[in-house]
Amino acid sequence: MTDAVTTNAVTSNAVTSPYGTDPQEPGSELSGFGGADGSPRVSYLLRVNGVDRPVNGAWIGESLLYVLRERLGLAGAKGGCDQGECGACSVQLDGQLTAACLVPAALAADSEIRTVEGLAADGSASDVQRALAESGAVQCGYCIPGMAMAVHDLLERNHQPTELQAREALCGNLCRCTGYQGALAAIEKVAQSRAEAAEAAEAAAEAAAEAADAADAAGPGEQAETADAADPDSLADDSLADDLAGEQFGRDEYPGDGYPVDEYPVYSDVEIPGQQQGEAQHIDHHHPDHHHPEPQADPLFGPMDGLNTEQPPAEQQYAYPVYAQQPQPEPYQAGFQPQAYPQAEYPLPGTQPPGAPEGAEPGVYVLPHQGTHQGTHQNTHAPEAGA
Amino acid sequence: MLPASLDEAVTALAASPAAVPVAGGTDLMGAVNAGLLRPMALIGLGRINELRGWQYQDGTAQLGAGLTHARMGRPDFAALMPALAEAARSAGPPQVRNAGTLGGNIVTADPAGDTLPVLAALEATVTLVGPEGGREVPVSHLLTGLDPMRGGELLGYVRVPLLHAPQVFLKATGRTGPSRAVASVALVLDPGRRAVRCAVGAVAPVPLRPLEAEQWVSGCIDWDGDRAIDPAAAAAFGEYVAAACVPEPQPAGLPDSQPDGMEGGPAAAAARLRRTVSVLARRALGRALK
Repeated sequence: MTDAVTTNAVTSNAVTSPYGTDPQEPGSELSGFGGADGSPRVSYLLRVNGVDRPVNGAWIGESLLYVLRERLGLAGAKGGCDQGECGACSVQLDGQLTAACLVPAALAADSEIRTVEGLAADGSASDVQRALAESGAVQCGYCIPGMAMAVHDLLERNHQPTELQAREALCGNLCRCTGYQGALAAIEKVAQSRAEAAEAAEAAAEAAAEAADAADAAGPGEQAETADAADPDSLADDSLADDLAGEQFGRDEYPGDGYPVDEYPVYSDVEIPGQQQGEAQHIDHHHPDHHHPEPQADPLFGPMDGLNTEQPPAEQQYAYPVYAQQPQPEPYQAGFQPQAYPQAEYPLPGTQPPGAPEGAEPGVYVLPHQGTHQGTHQNTHAPEAGA
Repeated sequence: MLPASLDEAVTALAASPAAVPVAGGTDLMGAVNAGLLRPMALIGLGRINELRGWQYQDGTAQLGAGLTHARMGRPDFAALMPALAEAARSAGPPQVRNAGTLGGNIVTADPAGDTLPVLAALEATVTLVGPEGGREVPVSHLLTGLDPMRGGELLGYVRVPLLHAPQVFLKATGRTGPSRAVASVALVLDPGRRAVRCAVGAVAPVPLRPLEAEQWVSGCIDWDGDRAIDPAAAAAFGEYVAAACVPEPQPAGLPDSQPDGMEGGPAAAAARLRRTVSVLARRALGRALK
């Protein structure tokens, strides 16, 4: 259709992922959509943090967040709500702060994408990231990549934001841990330090210019170099891009990691080759096939099934006095031996505990207090047996 | 696909009618992420520069459908169309306003779309561009389905009259910070026609215009003087608007499911909504006439 399309977004069914259009394709499973119905797959280039990253065989409905995390290995942006409410996935798209979960990745093909990984130059955290950490804005940390992007975006546009402007800038980043005070303090801190740095740079530039003038007055010399070095603008963009290129830690750039990116359809932030990947599983406790392990009977308090309403004897009611009566060893003493607490005796299945009534069926034992329970971990009560 | 002009986009859509045109993508990707939509192809409208700006045209402003909410919230825009700017500013967090567009807001026609009551109150018209050329449709006809978009058509421009008079947009939400409107009221003054135009959003699938209330209240305003209004008349206007836009809390003969009032039940909810709309309308009128 246009140049952009012919060069960047080649719609093609011939470009297949390593998994073809198998419905079992793990990537599609995770995202909830597959290529099984023949939906078109596209390949395009994404320009992320100044580096061109190819994306092959992606479904057109994949969000930028998904592609960044799962196909490019840039797990900085977090997936929170997938609806643009939480701001954890914030990235800059052509300099505009955007929720990456709401951008079709295929349509970001000729945009400049900046993620939180691009904030840290030379492998050290940016001033915003340091300030967030120092001000106590980070607790669980899930919102912080998005918040760092939002703060960067704010301070790029507004060097001295008021508190109201700062609050408005953060209004799209949900944080349920810290209450935003740390983030607001970080914004103030960075704005202040940047203003001071700018003043210092200005003063240095003036001093350098004066020195250059003096040198010119003295005679044409080699002073131009110092003036150039003092100029903050002389940090050329191309050298920065080179630095950033080295800082990309997409998985396909790990030395010695020969796996194609598509073979890591996992949803985790830190991945080690060979690592076992697990998924959170929902356990349906009401499903008939689900068996609870039988609550273990406590030797002191009887069965812990919540049904035992009989109070244990008074001297057994509280665990603390029982242990407090144990002689406490003096620590840091020569020949100190950690004292073993008396081990409760749990009957093995098929045996009887000491003191069980004569003739009780094996596997069905009577506890010191109430209740009759089978020794095996079955979810079936057998009140008639041994009662 | 990323066509660079509106004509190219129309051609592309004609070539693949199953493709979904997408501008900001905020509503579309929300549906895709929720598993409600599986587009087979996309036509990106984000590179069509002619749709991303706006210009004057015979006393009206011609707004490109690709104007983002962030752009509409800027001061230059707010000086001319304050209600539209206010709606755009309150539409969502910056991350969404930077992407979401005016055209997308109209085409998605979400009941809680924030610009929709403003456009209805302004009596804006939209230009739909299809393979056979463009046509102008009042935005209310488009939203109510009186004159819906046809296959292969794209929303190109929105024409908004410049009224040079106060405009107010007020929105009630469930929490502080940007969120979905529970109810919203847009109110514009049209001194040339000595009219007040008001639209209520988010209480119905489309923005509602309480025409009788508008007509009544424009008779209460001293248009030649300082445009003052009796506070009691403003309060009555609020009640009038709410009664016109929110159904009767308790239809005759039907008992409320929870008769104890404010806590729950559809009748109580309707009564609260009526009160919300009434307060919003009263305040909007008061601010417009201040």
